[in-house]
Amino acid sequence: MTWTIVVGVKQVPDDDEIGIDPDTGRLDRASAPAVMNPPDRDALEAALSIADEVDARVVAMTMGPPMATPVLEEAVAMGCDDAVLITDRAFAGSDTWPTSLTLARAAEALDADVVVCGEETTDSSTGQVPPGIAAHNGWAQLTYVEELEPDPEGGRLIATRDVEGGHERVAAELPVVVAVAYGEFEARPAGLHRKIYAENDFEPAQLTAEELGIADEVGLAVSPTAVGGMETVEPVERRGEVVDDVDGLVEPIRGVET
Amino acid sequence: MSAILDGRVGDAAIEEPNYDGEFDAVVVGAGLAGSAAALTMADRGLEVLLIERGSSPGAKNVFGGVLYTPTIRELVDLEDAPLERYVAEKRFSMLSHDDETALSISPGEWRREPHNDSYTVLRGEFDEWFAEQAVDAGATLVTETTVTGLLREGREVVGVETDRPDGGVEAPYVVLAEGANSLVGEGANLKATESRENVAVAAKEVLEFPNGENVIEDRFRLFGDAGVSYHYFGEGAVGEAFGGGFIYTNGDTVSVGVAYRLEDAAANDQSPEETLNLFKSHPRVAPLLRDARTVEYSAKTIPEGGAESVPDLAHDGAVIVGDAAGLVLNNGVHLEGTNMAVESGYHAGRVIADANARGRTDADALEAYGRALEESFVVKNLERYAWLQETVEEDRELLFETMPTAFADAGAEYFRMDREPKAEHASRAKRAVVDALGGWRGLAKLALRYRKVVT
Amino acid sequence: MTDVDTSEYADVWVFVEEHAGDVMPVSWELLEEGRKLAEKTDEELVALVIGEGVDAVAEEAIARGADRALVADDPVFEPYRADPYGAQFRAMVEEYKPSIALIGGTHTGRDFAGRVAVPTHAGLTADVTEIDVDDEGILQARRPAFGGDILATIICEDHRPQMATIRPGVFEAAEPDRDREGEIERAEVAVEEAETVSEVLEREVGDTADITEAERIVAVGHGVEGELGPALELAEALDAELAASRAAVDEGWIDGSRQVGQTGKTVRPELYVAVGISGAIQHLEGMNNSGTVIAINNDPNAPIFEHADYGYVGDFAAVCPELAEKLADGKPMEVTR
Ligand SMILES: Cc1cc2nc3c(=O)[nH]c(=O)nc-3n(C[C@H](O)[C@H](O)[C@H](O)COP(=O)(O)OP(=O)(O)OC[C@H]3O[C@@H](n4cnc5c(N)ncnc54)[C@H](O)[C@@H]3O)c2cc1C
Ligand SMILES: Cc1cc2nc3c(=O)[nH]c(=O)nc-3n(C[C@H](O)[C@H](O)[C@H](O)COP(=O)(O)OP(=O)(O)OC[C@H]3O[C@@H](n4cnc5c(N)ncnc54)[C@H](O)[C@@H]3O)c2cc1C
Ligand SMILES: Nc1ncnc2c1ncn2[C@@H]1O[C@H](COP(=O)(O)O)[C@@H](O)[C@H]1O
Repeated sequence: MTWTIVVGVKQVPDDDEIGIDPDTGRLDRASAPAVMNPPDRDALEAALSIADEVDARVVAMTMGPPMATPVLEEAVAMGCDDAVLITDRAFAGSDTWPTSLTLARAAEALDADVVVCGEETTDSSTGQVPPGIAAHNGWAQLTYVEELEPDPEGGRLIATRDVEGGHERVAAELPVVVAVAYGEFEARPAGLHRKIYAENDFEPAQLTAEELGIADEVGLAVSPTAVGGMETVEPVERRGEVVDDVDGLVEPIRGVET
Repeated sequence: MSAILDGRVGDAAIEEPNYDGEFDAVVVGAGLAGSAAALTMADRGLEVLLIERGSSPGAKNVFGGVLYTPTIRELVDLEDAPLERYVAEKRFSMLSHDDETALSISPGEWRREPHNDSYTVLRGEFDEWFAEQAVDAGATLVTETTVTGLLREGREVVGVETDRPDGGVEAPYVVLAEGANSLVGEGANLKATESRENVAVAAKEVLEFPNGENVIEDRFRLFGDAGVSYHYFGEGAVGEAFGGGFIYTNGDTVSVGVAYRLEDAAANDQSPEETLNLFKSHPRVAPLLRDARTVEYSAKTIPEGGAESVPDLAHDGAVIVGDAAGLVLNNGVHLEGTNMAVESGYHAGRVIADANARGRTDADALEAYGRALEESFVVKNLERYAWLQETVEEDRELLFETMPTAFADAGAEYFRMDREPKAEHASRAKRAVVDALGGWRGLAKLALRYRKVVT
Repeated sequence: MTDVDTSEYADVWVFVEEHAGDVMPVSWELLEEGRKLAEKTDEELVALVIGEGVDAVAEEAIARGADRALVADDPVFEPYRADPYGAQFRAMVEEYKPSIALIGGTHTGRDFAGRVAVPTHAGLTADVTEIDVDDEGILQARRPAFGGDILATIICEDHRPQMATIRPGVFEAAEPDRDREGEIERAEVAVEEAETVSEVLEREVGDTADITEAERIVAVGHGVEGELGPALELAEALDAELAASRAAVDEGWIDGSRQVGQTGKTVRPELYVAVGISGAIQHLEGMNNSGTVIAINNDPNAPIFEHADYGYVGDFAAVCPELAEKLADGKPMEVTR
């Protein structure tokens, strides 16, 4: 049996390029270019490494505006066999509930045996989408995964998970949703010819909410959570004093009353 | 696969894409020379692959600078180009450790279109835009990819090798536009490693003025899009080294830097960064930069061997353009590489397109590129100043130490306010210069030696 | 779409996370904070205990402030797995209809919370650092957004329960009061082993240090390159707990339970010494509540210096032992623990 592995990738503003405005001490996000969510590179690597071991097809998916296509191109450049852009105006204002519903339906449509996601996104940082996908489809899930061992005979995927203070090895039946721990799967570089192909000649397939049959179940209206307000947090005031010798640290440390 | 996706996923991607032979030419480096070559070839219907190691073209490029646009203007519409300011004033200063003697040039003509084809730019923005023009013309750009070597069949260059897996790509023509630090060309023995005395190091910072509006306009006496390029020499600029300092005004920032001979940099055991800091703190420079904050620091090399160190430009299946070919004029008065980079890229592209039409890839066919350069301002200018390096080297102490002080002393003497008659001051001022420069005979010789710089 | 009658929902739930009898400290932090919410809304504070043989845990939950403990006790729940936990929690939510449910933002909490929120169409806010409730009983869940620069208040008006996973260490736990009384109620076990889709093959839990309570912390980063000796020496001189950045944890030099930051713990020591840590925003989020922050880094441009009170530019391998020695030389540090 050929496994179908679907990878969720998302475009986010580049954290590294987000400068700190020295006057306000705040982050200047607006000017940051859009990049692939860094933890999703780990997800791609994990997916491709499963495909190295078992007969598998790897398909990347993203739910986002057409502008997000470059993350799919990057995925194909790295080695994904194909990619799908799930895009629709109806998605506007979706929180994690409709987002994970959409990705769950897309994973079903793609006949996924395994869905691989990143630990969390750097822009919404909830880490809820992968368990959400699993819950919507009633599939097994494996989060904070550091190692993967496919077990095609048993129709299972075995994972080493990071649990507080240690590790566990868990076997899950297919289909399964995996969220890999950030930093555990170092992404392989894209091959030259694949990169040229992905960036210039590849066109991802597109899927709409209508086609997934969820046009009335996505967007702002069905999102249970809403942003009630935003406050800027004053950056913590620190002295920022750099001392010339180690003695300069001794006094302040002694000064700390406990 | 479900019905809704039938046929739509799985068919799109091809198994193992292969672009060997799909491109007519590969260009190494999306700097000014590379993009000019790519654009020229794409305009003539060639399939071009432009390979850049940076995350975007220009991301890593260090530069003063002033972009000279006579050739680029012919290739693209500069209307939407990210130009910072046009150069309305050029100022040349001699600095001793605490004196300055300066000459400022600001012709009315420079304030009118096309502004003497001299604009300050930030390369991170400009190179990206210029490469985009090549892509719009049909070229294919891949970034974050470093060319590590050339593919060869016998003597013939037939493609490039990159640092990516599956990283070789074959094409009939390769344009080496990798800039001054041309590891690929050197590695493939298409050019010799620049000897130390022919390489300058440069350190540059981009500074911004966080406090206050219109700081740049006020400090440099500017209106609208006008800008300045200030050039400094003498020991107050780069110590005893052969070279100089510069300040260029961008839109909201200024570029400040020093460039001097690598040999001196090594001998002086002072880092380019330290030299730059000393220059920035010169009493005549510091006020221009007061309250500025560094937003970017970079260091780089500049070839300055002149016409003699230009390597063979045409090889079987390959040509060398821009800084990689040593096409920079850096003599203190002029620091020009951008115009030469674009001009050389343009000629190389044109000649390859012609050769391609005739089915030729051999060096003889590509030799037309070298000839075109020789007939252009590029080689003519380099030749014109070829003698300068050596001569300056001989007069180093005189030019960079004695002269700045002598001129400053003369100025101080000439305008001295005391109760002596002016005639006394004038003759003492004259004597200060004449003595310092080796008497009247010395002065006459010096004038003869350097007349070509300005005539 | 699920139209819920929000008035049918009442009470504040706190999930008490236990593994083989060990309770994660964040659970007690949440009971104390949940108590405040329940008092405001004039509702009951209910501790939810899922596991095998967890009566003692339920009793402790009462002592720590719960009015009632709801217990689902069955071998299917030991060791933890997302699917049985999610299904059980969901069944209890559907039966008892809590208005608010607070879950510790541990790997476990964040693993199964979504499996409850999705089928019940609840509002779930992740990684919350401040909570409050308004007059209408609407949970105001505040969480850092945009790299910690902004505190976004997330609300859920029309769906129930209002769920949140809460970052460990941001609240303080109250001491248990053994005289407190409360009801322990057994809930129906809604899961059968045959229905589960996962199996735990091995589980090894060693270091479960609680750095959130430490008065002093020496935290190491990627810059120490696996060489812990110098930092340990300093930690000893200071009587400090060792903690780490994620990069150091990822390298396997330090256990994950000692990670400080957005996906680790929030600490609030009097003294925080960052050794070979660059000062990434995700790290700062976990250490911003510290008293005095000291940074040792060999890169003068490392961002950590802007977020430290005192910094020293130098190689940690030389600086830490020197500092340790100098601290030991003078008057001994007062140790109050
Ligand atoms: C400090 C300084 C100030 C200057 N000021 C001026 C000035 O005011 N006016 C002026 O006209 N000139 C100035 N110059 C000179 C001018 O910058 C150069 O002459 C010009 O940039 C040359 O263009 P180029 O395209 O040949 O090379 P570059 O601009 O250096 O471009 C080379 C490109 O190739 C890429 N590359 C290199 N190796 C590889 C590889 N192996 N694989 C893939 N990509 C590669 C690089 O990333 C780069 O993008 C200055 C130079 C310096 C250093
Ligand atoms: C979704 C997400 C969640 C994250 N959550 C967390 C989190 O919870 N906690 C966390 O910490 N990070 C987190 N990160 C990672 C974070 O972005 C940084 O990558 C990480 O904090 C960097 O760790 P570091 O400072 O130890 O390593 P580096 O950034 O590599 O810094 C090492 C430092 O050591 C210095 N150094 C090197 N050698 C020496 C020497 N000999 N002496 C002294 N100094 C030296 C260097 O100058 C450098 O500043 C998260 C990232 C993401 C994307
Ligand atoms: N819009 C999206 N499209 C595809 N995958 C997503 C999307 N949002 C989240 N994911 C996946 O879910 C993971 C966790 O995201 P989050 O829950 O938003 O922190 C990410 O690392 C992605 O792998």
